[in-house]
Amino acid sequence: MNGHCNGKVSDTVESFHCSSGLGDLIIDTGKSAVHRKNETSRKEAEDQSRLPVLEVAYATILRELGEDTDRQGLLRTPLRAAKAMQFLTKGYHETVDDVLNNAIFDEDHDEMVIVKDIDMFSLCEHHLVPFFGKVHIGYIPNKKVVGLSKLARIVEVFSRRLQVQERLTKQIATGIAEALQPKGVAVVIEAAHMCMVMRGVQKMNSRTVTSTMLGVYLEDPKTREEFLTLSQHA
Amino acid sequence: MEHSKQTQYTSNEKTDSGDSGSVLNGHFDGMVKRPAGGTGRAAAPQPPGAESGSHRPAASVMESWREERTRSVEDNEMSLPSLAAAYTTILRGLGEDPQRQGLLKTPWRAATAMQFFTKGYQEKIIDVLNDAIFDEDHDEMVIVKDIDMFSMCEHHLVPIFGRVHIGYLPNKRVLGLSKLARIVEIYSRRLQVQERLTKQIAVAITEALQPTGVGVVIEATHMCMVMRGVQKMNSKTVTSTMLGVFREDPKTRDEFLTLIRS
Repeated sequence: MNGHCNGKVSDTVESFHCSSGLGDLIIDTGKSAVHRKNETSRKEAEDQSRLPVLEVAYATILRELGEDTDRQGLLRTPLRAAKAMQFLTKGYHETVDDVLNNAIFDEDHDEMVIVKDIDMFSLCEHHLVPFFGKVHIGYIPNKKVVGLSKLARIVEVFSRRLQVQERLTKQIATGIAEALQPKGVAVVIEAAHMCMVMRGVQKMNSRTVTSTMLGVYLEDPKTREEFLTLSQHA
Repeated sequence: MEHSKQTQYTSNEKTDSGDSGSVLNGHFDGMVKRPAGGTGRAAAPQPPGAESGSHRPAASVMESWREERTRSVEDNEMSLPSLAAAYTTILRGLGEDPQRQGLLKTPWRAATAMQFFTKGYQEKIIDVLNDAIFDEDHDEMVIVKDIDMFSMCEHHLVPIFGRVHIGYLPNKRVLGLSKLARIVEIYSRRLQVQERLTKQIAVAITEALQPTGVGVVIEATHMCMVMRGVQKMNSKTVTSTMLGVFREDPKTRDEFLTLIRS
């Protein structure tokens, strides 16, 4: 669903989903990631029709939490919360191919290109609570450069989903690698997880840092060091 | 029965002048006065299961600090299956596969997390204060600042977080310092609006201590503005409530605002 394939397809689960009218929402988990790259698991046009189901679910949640769903502040909250959640998971609509928009140019450039401090907002798939931070991306082109904003758009595609920070980092890196075939790609994400800050262990200042190094960034320590130095300094 | 309770509650709302908030969340119109003879209603025995959440004490909002509990630990356990089912529906409705490994237990985790984020509904001010009110011959300003606060936006169900600064001028009675932070926790761990949160904290301290004055300032970031909608990363919302001498005397207010800034 999120590029994650556990390889198991339960027939009873599939038939339940199909019979409940949600079958078209679920991609067969048996398909490999290659196929899934070019598909979206959710069609934007369907969002509107999915709203009522989400609204009912949110109304139930409000009631079960002990709130009064008839008070003024909460009257339209199920609708707003449903729309907000759809926005926060809009990455399911999009693929890397869509956002790149053919903004790949032939340039005789083979020095490092870094786009850093890209604000990132995602949702923890375990608690459905936000995590947010900054993404730093570096790549060494192999005669092909990409429009700079497209790197940020690739971040958006993968971060606006139910995510795990490790997977997010890797998906951004592989997305860029597959689109450009560069000599190397490096992605570093530093984020604060509200599931750790607002609840659970409640450590306000903790940050999680993950990185993915591909190609020459993995093989050559000097290149990696250059990237890390340039992306960390103000 | 549930319907009639809600009807009664709604009609109470209409008679309050300009009070559009919920009794549940202790919404005030800014006056710290007790109406004569609050309409206290004995708490009906909680029926088991999903209905328990809809009971509201119809006691006047002014008595909110006495009669606030609407949820118990047992209620939480009873609600968990329905909450988890609702979250499963949401996952499917968003286009995810609830059967994949990362999401298998997510409905339960998300439900428990949401209950934690609204645990303010389980607590009463009077329990939290724990009699930590002491007679001290002190009438200078007491400030507790930079109290980390986490709340949930009641409009989008998305987190709000920031800092609370509280100052008060005791009138022979002081409060244990951590109790100020605990009052913040009770009111912030709810579905909130920042303006109401600020006022509730101020009024609770006033009712507990009858100090000469109270000032509360909250500076917070709203994820509903940062992660979605208008998407302004660095915006902060600042609200304040000044009661008593903090409101009347500009010099006192000035001193408070200067001290919390440093």
